[in-house]
Amino acid sequence: MPKQSRLSVVVITPDATVFEGEAEMVVVPAWDGEVGFLPNHAPMMALLGHGEMRVTAQGQLLRFHVDGGFVHVAANLVSVLSERAEAR
Amino acid sequence: MSKTREIKRRLRSIEKTRQITRTMEMVATSKMKKMTDLVQAARPYSMGLEEVIGRLTDPKLRQRYPLLRQPSRQRRAAVILLTSNRGLAGAFNVNLIREARELMGRLEADGVGVELHVVGKKGIAFFRFQNQEMVTTRTDIPDRREPQHAAWLVDEPMKAFEQEELDAVYVVYSQFRSALSIPPAVMQVLPVEPAKASAQRDADLEAGMYILSPGPDEILNKLLPLYVRNRVYRALVETSAAEQSSRRTAMKNATDNAGEIIDNLRRTFNRARQAQITQEISEIVGGAAALE
Repeated sequence: MPKQSRLSVVVITPDATVFEGEAEMVVVPAWDGEVGFLPNHAPMMALLGHGEMRVTAQGQLLRFHVDGGFVHVAANLVSVLSERAEAR
Repeated sequence: MSKTREIKRRLRSIEKTRQITRTMEMVATSKMKKMTDLVQAARPYSMGLEEVIGRLTDPKLRQRYPLLRQPSRQRRAAVILLTSNRGLAGAFNVNLIREARELMGRLEADGVGVELHVVGKKGIAFFRFQNQEMVTTRTDIPDRREPQHAAWLVDEPMKAFEQEELDAVYVVYSQFRSALSIPPAVMQVLPVEPAKASAQRDADLEAGMYILSPGPDEILNKLLPLYVRNRVYRALVETSAAEQSSRRTAMKNATDNAGEIIDNLRRTFNRARQAQITQEISEIVGGAAALE
């Protein structure tokens, strides 16, 4: 897999796609504590807990509130699926 | 004289009816638009869930998860029927009820005990009239469906399934393929059938490349209920979109029919009026002729 310097990020709930875009870094509240992803992260699936998700994109920090669900990382695509997620 | 007045009254009444059906058509059109957006918005989430579950599910390990249990013989099944709270939607509810009754007939013929859960006043009214026992009835699910409404419906049956009190759960709903194609359908919610489970198990996972946190079992046990709820949620939003689309068609037909009746009445009215005038003239002419 060619090295890349960006991650694609999607945050999806059952009734909407909350966020879709590129980022340099993503931090999610996993079930046992925060997990951060940088580009070229190994494939991973993790359950999420309740807390704040942070997306760093071009020096900007975006925050989301997520409650449960899971994160799936593969091939520089970070998908967060949660029953409830909202930007804040 | 009295005839023209009679026709005029009917004309007015039908024009008012047409006004109402036309308004309902427009309301349904705008609601349908919103519901279709919801149907679209629900797609990415369920695709994401399906993909991950497909990757994690090993058909050999089915018996480990209560929700993947494949009962060798069905003894008891739950049928959840989704109907609407309001009528004037053409054959929408009738079709759903027929589908549910066919399914129940099939199950009962196989010796399966069926418990019926009904959503929506129309379905409830029908089965109450039939003296059919309903385990739960709900009329409190609004047109704008939210994911939590699916949890209200399916959490109890899901628990019963885990405890082996139920062997299958079906949802009778209306598919929303397009505004014109909204066939009633049966969805088997439990036991869960992960789509193409083995085909999607990819090489990375087999090779142990994936970091799984906590572990595959815990993840699956958490995700399977989400998956079940999500399928019910999708059935809910599709049914809601289908209801509006069916109402729109019904109201459009009603408006068109009213227009046709109005045209006919207007023609009859004009003819009657003309006949009356002609008669009056001939009376006057006749009277004048008699005087000469």
